[in-house]
Amino acid sequence: MVREYLLYIKVGTESLRLAQAYVTPCFSVDQSFWQEREGCQLHVIGRSPSLVLAFSLRELVNAQLERRHAASKPLNEEGLAELRELAISRVRETSALYGREMAGRQPLQGQWFQWKQEDVSVALSRCNGSIENAEKGMGSLLEGRGLLWEEIETLMMKRAVACPDMTPILQRMVLAEKAEWRPGVRLLVKKSWWKHRLDLVCDRCGSQHENIELTVCHTCGQGCAYCTVCLGMGRSKCCTPYVLVPSRSPYAKGDGGAMRSQLCWTGSYSKDQAVAAEQARRYVANPRPGSREFLIWAVCGAGKTELLFPSVSECLAASGRVLIATPRKDVVLELAPRVQRVFPHASVIAIHGSSQQKWEDADITIATTHQVMRYYHRFPLVVLDEADAFPYHNNPMLYRAVSRAVQPGGKLLYLSATPPRYLQKRLVAKRRGGFKLDVGRSLPLLSSSTHVLLPGRYHGTALPVPKAVTIAGLHKRLKSNRPIAPLLELVRDSLQSERQLFLFVPRIDDVDKVLAYLTKFFPSDASLFAGVHAADSLREGKVVAFREKRYRVMVTTTILERGVTIARSDVAVIGAEVAVFDEASLVQIAGRVGRSVDDPAGTVLFLQADRSAAVRAAIGQIRRMNQLAEKLRSREEVQA
Amino acid sequence: MSRSICVACAGRIVLQSREASVRRLTNQLSSNRTRYPAMYRLISGLSLCASCLEKLPVIGAAICWQCGREQETEELCQDCHKLTEETLQSNRSLLRYNQWGKDLLSMYKYRGEERLAVLYAKLLAIAVLRYHQVTSFDCIAPVPLHDQRLQERGFNQVDLLAGRLGAEMGVPVRALLHRTKRTAKLSQQTGRSAREESMDGAFSWAGERLGQAKAGSYRILLLDDIYTTGSTLRSCARTIREHAGSLCDIYSVTIYR
Repeated sequence: MVREYLLYIKVGTESLRLAQAYVTPCFSVDQSFWQEREGCQLHVIGRSPSLVLAFSLRELVNAQLERRHAASKPLNEEGLAELRELAISRVRETSALYGREMAGRQPLQGQWFQWKQEDVSVALSRCNGSIENAEKGMGSLLEGRGLLWEEIETLMMKRAVACPDMTPILQRMVLAEKAEWRPGVRLLVKKSWWKHRLDLVCDRCGSQHENIELTVCHTCGQGCAYCTVCLGMGRSKCCTPYVLVPSRSPYAKGDGGAMRSQLCWTGSYSKDQAVAAEQARRYVANPRPGSREFLIWAVCGAGKTELLFPSVSECLAASGRVLIATPRKDVVLELAPRVQRVFPHASVIAIHGSSQQKWEDADITIATTHQVMRYYHRFPLVVLDEADAFPYHNNPMLYRAVSRAVQPGGKLLYLSATPPRYLQKRLVAKRRGGFKLDVGRSLPLLSSSTHVLLPGRYHGTALPVPKAVTIAGLHKRLKSNRPIAPLLELVRDSLQSERQLFLFVPRIDDVDKVLAYLTKFFPSDASLFAGVHAADSLREGKVVAFREKRYRVMVTTTILERGVTIARSDVAVIGAEVAVFDEASLVQIAGRVGRSVDDPAGTVLFLQADRSAAVRAAIGQIRRMNQLAEKLRSREEVQA
Repeated sequence: MSRSICVACAGRIVLQSREASVRRLTNQLSSNRTRYPAMYRLISGLSLCASCLEKLPVIGAAICWQCGREQETEELCQDCHKLTEETLQSNRSLLRYNQWGKDLLSMYKYRGEERLAVLYAKLLAIAVLRYHQVTSFDCIAPVPLHDQRLQERGFNQVDLLAGRLGAEMGVPVRALLHRTKRTAKLSQQTGRSAREESMDGAFSWAGERLGQAKAGSYRILLLDDIYTTGSTLRSCARTIREHAGSLCDIYSVTIYR
């Protein structure tokens, strides 16, 4: 059952100028749709089994129609012939370019792209037929989602909605402009003086160039390509329809928002926290379509999650849905019950790769980064937790996914302890007066219309400032078991004073090396040492054991750099100069220390073989935050 | 895919740190010194990093000489003992089917990461080189996919492998068979006998004539991704035997056993 896609131009009778091209897999549906609404003329250009080709021709035809429209030339027979000619030459070009890329491989059916020109025109007069409303059920099901064809089938199956053929329903939605569909991977012919080439872009994740793989496809039998980046979420191909249904109406569910938004939280804010939470709430409540983005910049251990509650409540009260996106599955699983406890009357779901709730609807959705890709213009409020963490950081695909999940006019809230430079530049206003060359080094403003900065911890004690020690030949010393005084001292102190210690190392194979080194110097305490890395199958158990103080020293890669809170702990980084430890990562690592009220101080030691800019920048950042917190406190004291 | 990224774990391939693993594996897999260079070339051409190469669950020296399963002693395994009539000369596989292999194969087959075909074809070539005289086959015949499944999936994972393996070995690939029965997915079938039954008569002859054999008999290398119960491959072999007569010898090779 190879589908065929028909390309036609619709010309309205009342104003001959308004001409637009459409692609349809079921022409009869289009015909009856237009007939119900207006009288018009449909000119068929041609048909092809290739979805991507039909859409690329549609672009071409529409551009040409616009040009004609600008020159106020009506579309006549001659113009149509010209368009058909244009289509044929574009097909030939595309085929040739595709063939060049696939050198040595044979197309399945003679040519890479098949195109059948058709010379049919249909005149439709308006007649009042019954306007069907079959799409209603499916519309609400798909609302706010961007899904591949196969995913829609899964969704319908999970929701037990029977629908023998979705194509006509979907096509009606598209014609009524309630939905949009395109090929998963888009194809364009890029022309330049040097070389014409094919430009393929994955419409779902935005990847292009070497991330799109051309193939011989048995599904469509045409030239095809798939995206290798978002493969894990289902294959986005040239021949798979990708359906986007924006959610326009506010989300209403039986009872009003008042009940759902009820906040049952027994904790309390510190003074600074209250101010920051209020700022964020005001931003969410602000109905003016102004800034779409807001940054809550709160240092490690400032109690970021709690700051969100008023904002979430605000959005729920306005009968909106909330999405909280976070990079890690563990965080999703940990956050969901916490949020559910605070909002007992709202429905909360946790979405990750193996989640059973993937296709459900809820008031509050807590999702991992990749799953956000399946939403489209759905949420009036999206919160992006740990905006600086892998895999978000410098990943345009995931940023794109998150910003696409926001409803038009909706709000995007970033939450970070170490916002990346580009977010700072965009959202953190510069201090007025006195132009400073080095923006990053000056103290940033505490709040503006696009951000709020929380420089102090909730318990009010300063962040521990790391001590950087440069040791020549650090790694060689480690390898040959020669003593490294500051490290051994720290380990000894920590063991003696019943504290716990994180030892961060840059690479997985360093974990065992450091463990062996420690065992050599503290043979009697060997059972208190453990090592963990991302690929460790016993990872979770070891972390639990560390939390329960069965292990006292944990040698780890950067996987424990965030999200782990252990009271009475110290931290050391061995090889802080290695590139995996960037400024943000080092600040996060330093942030592991002194998070609880009863032990706000602790040691942070950065051991480096060479001096590194990241270490200096991290220490600078922590110092600046302390300075800022100090200033804030003294100002408050003056006021009091 | 770039040579310097491991296709299994997406880690960076550091050639120096990998060298020792490549040599160890080459020694293990090449039965004599004349095969060493060819084997070395194949193994060092795998786009796997050192730790994935170490992880490679290569089947050991003692196998069932019929189905290629790894076991303690070199004799017929229990399952093969039960078989009364065997048209398949032998099956050989390179890897044990463990979790690592499962994840990788599902990435290839179900997720559709077609670029893994490069790696898998090399692994198959290694298997052929390890167990057979490379020059001894007249053609490679991939196990076909049902048309409808092919349409859904968009590609035939075994065909892709066959094309590459054929080019690597210099042996022509011929579509000898056609799948007539649409069998349920392996995971949805329970029990060996159910599998055996569902595969019975699942293939038909694609009508191609076999050419001139190099040796006395026409030697066919059947290709599949995994040998689980062997019923697929045996059913294929039976169909070939019915049409090509007793003049052919049918061997099979798979990635996993």
